[in-house]
Amino acid sequence: MSIVLRIVLIFGALFALSIVVRKVKKSKIRIADSVYWVCAAVLLLILAIFPRIAFFFSDLLGFLSPSNFVFLVVIALMLLKLFNLACDVSRLSDKVEQLSQELALEKKEFGDNDEGKN
Amino acid sequence: MRVLAIVPAYNEEECLANTVQELTQTCPDVDYLVVNDGSSDATPRICDELALSHIDLPVNCGLTSAVKAGMKYAMRHNYDAAVQIDSDGQHIPSYIPTMAKTMQNEGADIVIASRNLAGGGAVGARGAGAKLITAIIRQTTGATITDPTSGMRMYNRAMIEKLARGFDLAPEPDTLALLIRRGAKVVEVPAEMRERQGGTSYLHFMSSISYMARTCLSILLFQWFR
Repeated sequence: MSIVLRIVLIFGALFALSIVVRKVKKSKIRIADSVYWVCAAVLLLILAIFPRIAFFFSDLLGFLSPSNFVFLVVIALMLLKLFNLACDVSRLSDKVEQLSQELALEKKEFGDNDEGKN
Repeated sequence: MRVLAIVPAYNEEECLANTVQELTQTCPDVDYLVVNDGSSDATPRICDELALSHIDLPVNCGLTSAVKAGMKYAMRHNYDAAVQIDSDGQHIPSYIPTMAKTMQNEGADIVIASRNLAGGGAVGARGAGAKLITAIIRQTTGATITDPTSGMRMYNRAMIEKLARGFDLAPEPDTLALLIRRGAKVVEVPAEMRERQGGTSYLHFMSSISYMARTCLSILLFQWFR
């Protein structure tokens, strides 16, 4: 694992952390949703500071280079988040649809009441 | 002092009727509002049939959003204080007048019904989690909250407005810490609580891990930037 990759990881993780903090401060993300990003950034930070972890796992899994293990971790993190985002979007779509149905039904009922009065 | 009891209910058909009955019998002066959080069981029917004072969220939005809806109601109807009461029968309504009195006498912004002050409190993993939250709140704010995870909290007018308008201000321990740091006065009164009477808790085992992660991160890291 090259020193350049370690430096890039450290700065990347710190940069990511600062972005997350700024977004929380500006009320752009809920803290519950920021937990993942803080954990992911800390994980990359740990990998950069203790490269022995990457060496251990690349030996274990038979990778040619420990940096490949780091890339694997990053890709795995992205796939995990991507899938969870897809689930969230599905859930949100369903809720928005239900909300618009409720709204439409409510409007119809109130409309009927008004006609009855007139 | 006009007090509103906010009763968030998600799939609580078993206990909701009893909880509201006990509430209206022991505290006839206290108004209540059941917030049916998009329940899929008989909860909305019970609300209609018993003519409970209630609102229905059309989809399940979670405890935070349900309480926020109640806070908006309290704000728009000019209540002096709002207290969160779980619909599962955990919270004993006879403590509400005590809490209101404490709020008035001590000029508190938030009054918490504390199981620990009454010699009880959560045990096991849940108790350890609560102790950890108490410790990090004390470290970051200097205030000691003996029972930070108690759901029975009373908020005064100023706090109602904050909770009704704020972004990501959940009725959770990290919000307590944030409000204390912004000058809110929090007082605890000893109170006993019952075991859950039925239904399923908002906090299952797996979600309690993410609950702790969110709470600790919020108090230890984000509190300084919000």
